[in-house]
Amino acid sequence: MRYPLALLIILMLSSATLGGWKEDFEKAFLTRPWTGVQAPGDVCIECHASDMMKPEIRDIPQKWKTSWHYQNGISCHNCHGGDPKDAANAMSPQRGYAGTPKYTQVPEFCGKCHVGILKNFLESGHGRALKSSGKGPNCVTCHESHNIQKASINIINERLCAKCHSYERVKIMKQALFVTENKMNEIDKGLKELKAEGVFTEEEEKNLFNTQAEFRILFHTEDVSLVRKRTDEFGHKLNQINVKIQKTFEELRFRRNFSGFLMMIFVGMAIGFLLLSRRPKE
Amino acid sequence: MRIKNWLEIRIGLDDLIRTQLTEYRVPRNLNITYTFGFVALIAFLIQTATGVLLLFYYIPHSETAFRSVQDLTSKVPYGWLFRQIHVVTSSLMIVMVLLHALSVFFLGGYKKPRELTWISGTFMLLITVTFCLSGYLLPWSQLSYWATTIATTMPTAFPYVGDMLAKLMKGSEQVSGLTLNRFFALHVMLLPFILAIILSLHLFLVRRIGISSPPFGKSAEAEKPWTGYRHESYPNGYPFFPDFVLKETIMTMVFCAAIFFCITFLPTLFLPEEANIPADPYKTPAHIKPEWYLLAPYQMLKIIPNKFLGVSLQLILLLIFISWPFLDTQEEKNILKRPRLLGLFFFSLILWLVFTLWGKYS
Amino acid sequence: MKRRRFLNLLLTILGLTAVGSFVYPLLRFLAPASGQAVAKEVNLKKSEIPVGTAKNIPLNGLPIIIINRPGKGFIALSRVCSHLGCLVDYDQTQSRIICPCHAAIFDLEGNVVSGPPPKPLPRLALKVESESLVIG
Repeated sequence: MRYPLALLIILMLSSATLGGWKEDFEKAFLTRPWTGVQAPGDVCIECHASDMMKPEIRDIPQKWKTSWHYQNGISCHNCHGGDPKDAANAMSPQRGYAGTPKYTQVPEFCGKCHVGILKNFLESGHGRALKSSGKGPNCVTCHESHNIQKASINIINERLCAKCHSYERVKIMKQALFVTENKMNEIDKGLKELKAEGVFTEEEEKNLFNTQAEFRILFHTEDVSLVRKRTDEFGHKLNQINVKIQKTFEELRFRRNFSGFLMMIFVGMAIGFLLLSRRPKE
Repeated sequence: MRIKNWLEIRIGLDDLIRTQLTEYRVPRNLNITYTFGFVALIAFLIQTATGVLLLFYYIPHSETAFRSVQDLTSKVPYGWLFRQIHVVTSSLMIVMVLLHALSVFFLGGYKKPRELTWISGTFMLLITVTFCLSGYLLPWSQLSYWATTIATTMPTAFPYVGDMLAKLMKGSEQVSGLTLNRFFALHVMLLPFILAIILSLHLFLVRRIGISSPPFGKSAEAEKPWTGYRHESYPNGYPFFPDFVLKETIMTMVFCAAIFFCITFLPTLFLPEEANIPADPYKTPAHIKPEWYLLAPYQMLKIIPNKFLGVSLQLILLLIFISWPFLDTQEEKNILKRPRLLGLFFFSLILWLVFTLWGKYS
Repeated sequence: MKRRRFLNLLLTILGLTAVGSFVYPLLRFLAPASGQAVAKEVNLKKSEIPVGTAKNIPLNGLPIIIINRPGKGFIALSRVCSHLGCLVDYDQTQSRIICPCHAAIFDLEGNVVSGPPPKPLPRLALKVESESLVIG
């Protein structure tokens, strides 16, 4: 038995020295995404993060990397157009390159994707001010351009809003939003906890997301009375989601107790049988 | 006991009970490790039972598999219980089979005349791992999909036949619904069938040849040379029933307690977050790794620069493992009297552990 | 002997409890779920939705949209966008369905035309009778 095995070993080791397969295989094996090698990146980043650029432009890719857009796979060409894979045509208008928008055109620039918010913003006081006088806030004023973070109620603060007008009216709006935002945060936390316990929460996450989206789109109208009127409706929907979450937590508790109970029974039986097996020494 | 009498006339029940249970004796000096094989069998039976129950609700199609498992866990009453038992026991069964193999190795139970028993056992170990591999894909989650992609791409390391092998396993260029279908057929029909056959052979051999007694301790006698067939019996031993059966029962209860310990206190140990995300062929999760029992081969493959050598080395090690009774033909059964073998045993064990932990934390 | 009798009794009780705690879940598991509400259908009059327009209604708690497509008849689609769950709307002027959250565009069959959604909008069973529509 040993001789055939030894022969096999020698055969395999010697054929391993034939390097051809090594390269092909490594190419296929190692460049698959699951080995941790990253897919080729945007050509945009290659230039814009290099030393060729002015310092203020060089910082942009880094800022983008800390943003919520980056975490969701939105990169340069999704907003600015152009071709991310072809360096020669990366900034060609034929490939849809849109450049940097003018100050008053920023809402339309962001509104390419955020359609609902654009509509409400243009109808609002801020939007009308921007379009009529060229002065007023655009999206970037509150949300920044590349380091865009996940929406939260803290974007509404004195430092930002009191730049142009008194904070009093803003406080009223923030109060109107406050309760609903709190509920949404609580639900978000609850869903995260459930997910960590292994529950499949996609349906509830979608429910929360579309409620959040509808609510925040509403904010961009700056119509406090509208927000107040619809707060009840949103509150009701969020409560329904919360009830489901609490029920799920209860169900998880029940499961833990039930399997704990079964575990104790088996431990008891193991001890019982052990005692039963003890015979007096012969 | 009219039923007993009825059976006695037809099959000689009393005689059966006497020869197979109460007068069948096992060596006095056997230890708790002798129950591991039985517990592994119990684990397999648990898997079969919970598996059949899961079959009542699982739908083996790439579009509905994930949903059916989620519905099973959240909507079907106590579906979570049977699913969790199935998931936990799949890993614990491998643990039991490995412990059984290790203790048989340590106690020299593979030596002449028990070579066939050892070989059938190693094949059952491989089948158990294949069970776990095929079953892993069935929930069609991100974890399932990508772990299977890695596992079915490893054969491509072989020249010429590699690509064919990989395609054979997947059923298409990439892991797809076709892969799901064939893994399902494998997991539910073919593998149980093959395992049952090999298991019957294994149990037959154990009974026919007789239990191998531990080579250390006071009652260890020098083995008489095996020139002709004889059944190894222990006239001074304990009766199989009730003494050994009691031992087996205790170990089974401990095993079941371990299952429920995992379900109660570690419900997400075998179901990390990726197990709850439906499979997405276009999005690879950041840290995908095979399941714990395949971490050692995976890590070994990663560090050996020539992939073909890596895979062949593992095959060679496997061949050595399977054919061990023919490579180690020394008559001395007591491993404590063979320091080099003892050293090899612990060295391999520690190496395997090191690779597994390295694979887990790298 | 008393000890053995006690142990035997204890083990029998524990054993029966264990068996019972598996039999009960097993029966609940295998028996059909009680009180599973039959999905309600919704009836609508054809005249409520003129050609080229759409109507949003809830069906078993799920928001759906029914569109009367010019030349192609009625279709019932789920309004839940397959991207992140926002509710989509019908754009009559351009004969398409848009999601206000990230500008996903669907055609009037529910297929993705552009944008982030990974899957088309789920379609619901719709029967056309002489004067009314039955959805669900």
